[in-house]
Amino acid sequence: MAIRFLLNGEAVEWDGPPTRTLLDWLREERGLTGTKEGCNEGDCGACTVMVTEEGGGAKPLNACILFMPQLHGRAVRTVEGIAGPGGQMHPVQEAMVALHGSQCGFCTPGFIVSMATAHLNGDTGHDDALAGNLCRCTGYAPIVRAAEAAASEPVPDWMRDAPGKAGLAPPYVPESADALAEWYVENPDGVLIAGATDVGLWVTKSLRDLPKVAFLNGCADLRGVTREGETLRIGAMTTMTEVLAGVRKAHPSYAELIRRYGSVQVRSAATIGGNIANGSPIGDNPPALIALGATLHLRRGAERREMPLEAFFLDYGKQDRQPGEFVEAVTLPAEAPSLRCYKLSKRFDQDISAVCGCFNVTVTDGVVAEARIAFGGMAGVPKRAAAVEAALVGQPWSEETVEAALPAFGEDFTPMSDMRASADYRLETARNMLTRYYHDLAGAPVSVLKVSA
Amino acid sequence: MKDHFTMDEPQPRVLDETKQGVIGTPMDRPDGARKVSGTAGYAADHKVEGMAHGVLVRATISRGRVTDIGRASVMDLDGVIEVVTDPRMTRNPAQGMAGEAPVQPGDDVHYHGQPIAVVVAETFEAARDAAQRLVVTYRKEDAASDPDATPDTEVGDPETAGDFDAAWAKADVRLDRTYTTPSQVSAAMEPHAAIAEWTDGRVELRSSLQMVRFNKAELADTLGIDADRVRILSPFVGGGFGSKLGLGPEAVAAAIASEKLGRPVRVVMSRQNVFDAVLRRSETRQRVRLGASKDGQLLALSHDDRVSNLDGEGFAEPVSQASQFLYRADGLSFTQTVARIAATPAGSVRAPGEAVGMVALEAAMDELADELGVDPVELRLNNLPDTHPMDGRAFSTRRLADCLQDGAARFGWADRWTRGTRREGDWLIGMGVASAARSNMLVKSAARVRLQGDRAVVETDMTDIGTGTYAILSQIAGEMLGLSPDRVDVRLGDSDLPGASGSGGSFGASSAGSATFLAAKRIRRDIARKLGCPEDALTLQNGRARGDNREADLSELIDQELVGEAEIEAGKTDESHFSAGFGAHFAEVAVNEWTGEVRVRRMLAVMSMGRILNEKTARSQALGGMIWGIGTALTEEVQSDARDGHVVTRDLANYHVPSHADVPGDMQVVFLEERDDWANPIQTKGIGELGISGAGAAVINAISHATGHRTYDCPALPDRVISSLAP
Repeated sequence: MAIRFLLNGEAVEWDGPPTRTLLDWLREERGLTGTKEGCNEGDCGACTVMVTEEGGGAKPLNACILFMPQLHGRAVRTVEGIAGPGGQMHPVQEAMVALHGSQCGFCTPGFIVSMATAHLNGDTGHDDALAGNLCRCTGYAPIVRAAEAAASEPVPDWMRDAPGKAGLAPPYVPESADALAEWYVENPDGVLIAGATDVGLWVTKSLRDLPKVAFLNGCADLRGVTREGETLRIGAMTTMTEVLAGVRKAHPSYAELIRRYGSVQVRSAATIGGNIANGSPIGDNPPALIALGATLHLRRGAERREMPLEAFFLDYGKQDRQPGEFVEAVTLPAEAPSLRCYKLSKRFDQDISAVCGCFNVTVTDGVVAEARIAFGGMAGVPKRAAAVEAALVGQPWSEETVEAALPAFGEDFTPMSDMRASADYRLETARNMLTRYYHDLAGAPVSVLKVSA
Repeated sequence: MKDHFTMDEPQPRVLDETKQGVIGTPMDRPDGARKVSGTAGYAADHKVEGMAHGVLVRATISRGRVTDIGRASVMDLDGVIEVVTDPRMTRNPAQGMAGEAPVQPGDDVHYHGQPIAVVVAETFEAARDAAQRLVVTYRKEDAASDPDATPDTEVGDPETAGDFDAAWAKADVRLDRTYTTPSQVSAAMEPHAAIAEWTDGRVELRSSLQMVRFNKAELADTLGIDADRVRILSPFVGGGFGSKLGLGPEAVAAAIASEKLGRPVRVVMSRQNVFDAVLRRSETRQRVRLGASKDGQLLALSHDDRVSNLDGEGFAEPVSQASQFLYRADGLSFTQTVARIAATPAGSVRAPGEAVGMVALEAAMDELADELGVDPVELRLNNLPDTHPMDGRAFSTRRLADCLQDGAARFGWADRWTRGTRREGDWLIGMGVASAARSNMLVKSAARVRLQGDRAVVETDMTDIGTGTYAILSQIAGEMLGLSPDRVDVRLGDSDLPGASGSGGSFGASSAGSATFLAAKRIRRDIARKLGCPEDALTLQNGRARGDNREADLSELIDQELVGEAEIEAGKTDESHFSAGFGAHFAEVAVNEWTGEVRVRRMLAVMSMGRILNEKTARSQALGGMIWGIGTALTEEVQSDARDGHVVTRDLANYHVPSHADVPGDMQVVFLEERDDWANPIQTKGIGELGISGAGAAVINAISHATGHRTYDCPALPDRVISSLAP
């Protein structure tokens, strides 16, 4: 059974090994070499393609870590399809030439596709739209100016893809949570692939063979952010782009953390379920979700269970997940006005956190009624600062209380030194984050965004 | 017939007299349309009939010998054709302008990551799989990979002028500081790639290379064949920055495998391969000593450095290059030490020397200004030398003082506050300055221009690595021949064309541009003869020739092709005059007092670098260089395992080139008008590297102005900034 999709407007059928990447297929089999390989792991954006899905709009994605079955029922547009059928240049292409946004030209096709996708979506947040494309020549400014110059031009007709119905997918692309649950009980040794921003690297970088896989992109019922009373429910297959949109109003600080999480290309593929399930100690979602008091929902066959998210992370690389069991959703409170999330990284964009600290302290009548504080990058798992929380609860919310709680960080964490930061720095900035949090709630400007750059 | 020209005396400003008026204009690059549509063909994009795929095998020991490559362990795998080893294989890319084979180590392993074989298969996947599965047997030897620990160091003779010790003893204020910068890489966006194919005993190599003339000689020497049996094609290069100056091991492997197997072979490096086996910038340890009188006159200046490289590599990062000509002092002294280590070898990365040496020198100047209580701009202005401090040569042109003053005025330097006193919330704000300097060169170059009616073709093996060669050569030929540049075709990157300097050391535009200028000038002579006027009376504009009351359209006058070919090389002006580009960098940063995060808020560079050929391409070179300065100051760092030298940060997730958000929206570049008559007949200077030279120092100095504390180790990562704040 074949995978069906549109490529630059034309219907394509494909059958082959399920972990074939779109980039390899484009370059090696279709001869579409405009799409470049710069890193083969989603860091540089040179292979960006536009993928449109019915009802989901168009998104830029990294072709190097996009497996062919993820395209089923979608439409792909490469740089070769950004110019019109008669070779007419797209407004972003004209602007990139006129404003000298292309020098050596190797990153250019990726930039062009990112820009054309944002242009199609009417997205004028150029800084965010281009954060996932690295350029070593231009200094970026000419590219941003090109994006600005093209913004007011009309969208060319050929950019609007309508993928339509694709027909039946192969069995390794289950089309509902029930079908997935059934498949996984029968194949507990299989690997589930959601957005492939991590599993993709198992293949392209670790060169692993994945003999048995299931792709979750067909499970529409696992996707979406819904409000149920005082609770937000986020389906496991909700992409981080969708999570960002879904929490922007309720949890602006978490949303801002997500904005610096990967890049548009990565966020548009990566899912919240995948991020939780792979249990990375430096993933940015878990600290925020733990601070929010999120509940994790797991499913195996017809059985379901739930737990506080922090209980899921047992040890480095080890999660409380049974064979055949998968993450179905995460639920969290719809309101948490005191939540603040702070991400520290060596590079501002597209960098793994050295320390990610999330704080959610509830103060009633001047006294700390509840404190939920969680960190990434401070231990082998995303972890709550239990001793710090204990030192705060029941105390008046004051600088003195914060000061008195700082030594407790040493009880909670023994971070390590690595290339992202030293252990001392991690511990010191974790403490400093609590101080910052106090000032932040008091209204002082602390956001890195307040610094123009 | 080829005109030969040696730069022996200052040259008239012909390009200011010609009438086409395209020199200096911000013309779009003619290759732009192909680049934005994905139709520019880079090395790996080509598919040749019958092509096999090669993947390099990397050594996993740091020193020793391959006793068995383990061919049998993979030959049964589907699609595998051969595991190719050969005594002609090279251990690393040639150094820039080597023109001869790099070290050919045979079975010896000299560093972790060294290519030791190429596995060739019917598909890329099969080749990669086999390269991974290959069971190689080694005999290991001990070798130090840590430059701080190796017993094998070479201390050079000091380069001196005056008596440093005496001047140092006399100084009222003495500053003695040690700085470190980490190893860095070019990280050009296009990984190295090559396709080789043999036809009738001649090899054609498509590869991504900066210096085709030298690369051709390198491949011929490596293979042991005559140079006329080598053709290299490199029309589009996805960024170089030094990493593609010399012929790489992937190209050699492709050529050898293709020869042995009798079919075309493509070898593309993975990003990790590029980190392992392409020349890096050496890490540096730099001791700068500045001695000054109370009134701010520099008396003593010393800049000693320790860099590293692998045995057999002649290159050593010329750390103190700019320190030897920027400022005057009674006594100057420079000593370099090279640590020999078993690790990925070092070579040229954008602005070798200045890129890291100026970070230390200019940070030391900044600290000296603080010690003296003098404004840092003033300190620099007060210590500019009259002539080259080391050899007494006159400066050809130098507008460093103008750059500093003009930049200070534009940047609002006069409003600068006392260090460590401005805060916005928990952000500390600071401003920094640094001089920019990069020595300028003319390298032997040839070009041919053909005039066919009112269209022209420029032919040279010069490359365009994103720098704008296609644009500027069409402008130069168009200007000289009175043609709109869109009537000039530029053919580059083919070793069968006249040999140019290649792209490197910022000398490409000046060198290949001068050769193009001279070739076109020769054609002007022929046009004048055809028109019947003296050459100096000839005016060419918009396809029409005029002179001595005669006029004709070139389309009619030139009834058969006119060909001009010329070659230029440096001469006596290089001995009498020292040429360099100069400038001033200004930066404003915000530093978070709780986290040590640094955000660059704005940057300005004011530069004087000779005649600007294309305002648009030049500006982009400057801007691009400045963000390398941001990378040097804040993010870029290769980390290696000190035990075996293996590169740990071998991908773009862990080697942090500045991303979009690291770059301030407010980045300005200003060019001051300049003509360098002593440099070359088109009065230009190098552009590609001045933007980085000193830029990192401006950021580092701004950090210390913000916090009131100094950092001495680059990059100024948040943890380093935080620890500098500790009491």
